[in-house]
Amino acid sequence: MADNGIGTSHQANTALIQASNLECKNLYDYLRTRPSTLLDRLYNHPAICLAVYRELPEIARQYVIRILFVEQPVPQAVVASWCHQSYSKEHSHVCQVLSDLFVWHEAPIPGGLPGWILNSTFKRNLKTALLGGGKPWSMSSALEADNKARDVSFLDGYSAERWECVLHYMVGSQQQEGISADAVRILLHAGLMKRDEDDGSPVITRQGFQFLLLDRQAQVWHFLLQYLDTVEQRGLDLAECLTFLFQLSFSTLGKDYSTEGMSQGLLIFLQHLREFGLVYQRKRKAGRFYPTRLALNITCSQNKGVPVLEEDAPKGYIIVETNYRVYAYTDSNLQVALLGLFTELLYRFPNVVVGIITRESVRQALRGGITAEQIIGYLKQHIHSQMLSGDNKNALPPTVLDQIKLWELERNRLIYSEGVLYSQFLSQADFNALKQYAQQTGCLIWSNKEKRTMVVNKTGHDDVKKFWKRYSKGN
Amino acid sequence: MNFELSSDRVTETSPLDETSLLVIILDTNPGQRILRENPHILTQCTDSVIAFANAHLMQKAQNKLAIMACHSKISEFVYPGPGKPLDIRQVDGQYEVFTLVEKTVKQNLMKVLTSETSTVYTESLLAGAIAMALCYIARILRTKTPGLKINSRILTVTGSSDSASQYMNYMNVFFTAQKQSVVIDVCALDQHLSLLQQGCDITSGLYLRIPQIQGLLQYLLWVFLPEPPVRQKLVLPPPVKVDYRAACFCHRELIDVGYVCSVCLSIFCKFSPICTTCQ
Repeated sequence: MADNGIGTSHQANTALIQASNLECKNLYDYLRTRPSTLLDRLYNHPAICLAVYRELPEIARQYVIRILFVEQPVPQAVVASWCHQSYSKEHSHVCQVLSDLFVWHEAPIPGGLPGWILNSTFKRNLKTALLGGGKPWSMSSALEADNKARDVSFLDGYSAERWECVLHYMVGSQQQEGISADAVRILLHAGLMKRDEDDGSPVITRQGFQFLLLDRQAQVWHFLLQYLDTVEQRGLDLAECLTFLFQLSFSTLGKDYSTEGMSQGLLIFLQHLREFGLVYQRKRKAGRFYPTRLALNITCSQNKGVPVLEEDAPKGYIIVETNYRVYAYTDSNLQVALLGLFTELLYRFPNVVVGIITRESVRQALRGGITAEQIIGYLKQHIHSQMLSGDNKNALPPTVLDQIKLWELERNRLIYSEGVLYSQFLSQADFNALKQYAQQTGCLIWSNKEKRTMVVNKTGHDDVKKFWKRYSKGN
Repeated sequence: MNFELSSDRVTETSPLDETSLLVIILDTNPGQRILRENPHILTQCTDSVIAFANAHLMQKAQNKLAIMACHSKISEFVYPGPGKPLDIRQVDGQYEVFTLVEKTVKQNLMKVLTSETSTVYTESLLAGAIAMALCYIARILRTKTPGLKINSRILTVTGSSDSASQYMNYMNVFFTAQKQSVVIDVCALDQHLSLLQQGCDITSGLYLRIPQIQGLLQYLLWVFLPEPPVRQKLVLPPPVKVDYRAACFCHRELIDVGYVCSVCLSIFCKFSPICTTCQ
């Protein structure tokens, strides 16, 4: 009979590409996957509570602040009534997020109704951060004035240089020095680089290219998450390091902080951060350090491309025209190399590079595993302020953006899914019965009545086979 | 074929990448009835307003804040104060930026209050303060990075009574605010303020007269903390009927029925054959 299911398992190409995409977690995703005991320890510090609070969805922040000063559980029905009926979906999502992060938990109220109550540790420490009280954060011991104080522009220059050192190393341009074995190990661990099969030297991977196209904040955050993964192997305490990181992210640019009272582990951690340019220290034993812009607000990575309201923020340099020409006012080799990933460079001058976005150049990038979204994100992030002036909503020409997306879509005309082919049915009735069953269980991928063939996906194959055995016995 | 091409243009205006600028105007005029009866209320109000201001800064890292003190003769910015910011080191577990706000506001407020020497109390210059706030907002909007969206609003916390003598000034600032799409919120501590309520209605802000001053912070946090785009998702006090009475130009009194000059639209409570505004 027709029970000769020929396994025609296609190569699951798309699945592979998806899996190799760079996965960018935000703070919520990161913390959600941590054990609750760690979260409990983390919430013991105001800085973490503040960071977690800022990361919550908009409505959740309102809920938390409303019950911050309430000591008893609040009925769930009451909380639900704070949100408009039409946004009830958002409300349930928000409740889920708050429970996931153990910011609040269920507690019955005297009448027997279910209620919510804030995690007491979280509540206490958020109040401390907002209103004061408690112990000062560990790095704020008094310092006498630094006689060689560093200003913001110096720190910006320093951090940019350090960070670009890492990026330069990744693209393999001239500078090979100035990066430590530790940083290389993290890059390898993160899968951003891999050892070459021939000579064992690290080379950049697909994810590495995607990483380069992220904005600086997201890069730092992703890199640090990977670093934190390895922190425990180095004998450092994860909770301690996270706490310090968030304290650092809430510090003020251009101010010096004391290393007094920091544990040995934290001092090591500080040296690592110094190496990536997150903090500046004149000497290893200087007793004081300056946080740089890289370390500030590191958790805001998910709202990318937000221009900051400060004058001294880095400026964009890319102009895109509707005729697909790209002008980049830069002299940095790194930025030119990145642009070269998806544009065809035409001319190069001392301060400007001219290129053109073509189908071929974009497809080349797409083949390299870069997505259209990432290309557009990169252009958006580094857009020249001249293009943003005026009240036009689309700073980048929409036709170019749409075309880049279309070029990506034309590569995805085929959808691959693994399946098993059923063919050579002896009668139409047999075919119909089997097809109907497959359809009901939802595992039918494709069928053709005339040729009496059908394809069933892999998970449903066993089921359909059993059904066929039963069915053919019954006849 | 139906491509999802315009999806990112929709997300561009999501509230995520918006900054919120809040200017708080705190009425510190000692002539207010509640302050005359119990001067300590000012301390409590200041504390609540500072806590509220910090809660605003806590919402997002990009949020901006300014606080003004409104007096009977002058209105002044108490945060960000004039000159260089104070050099603050953390003293307790409070976030450094919040400590800075608290210290700056208290220090500058003290300067404003001690400079007050006369004992003759006149009404607070709220309209002037709102005008200053609007200028401040306009300056910020002018110098911002292109492409950045700022939601700006003004919150007035006052215990003064309603006065029609500033009617024209009020109307001017309200319509300017409406044009600049600045939302004006009013929190009345003592009496009902019909003129300011009109302002809230015009600029689609919220007006709340709080029943008891002890709960000021909670009222502020509940009603005024959500920024305008979030407000539509939350259930907030419904708008009440707004009293749209105008003040006459001759005696500055609120009137129900009056005479209007057919040329310049000035309002009078008594008939006069010659309009005093446009002759």
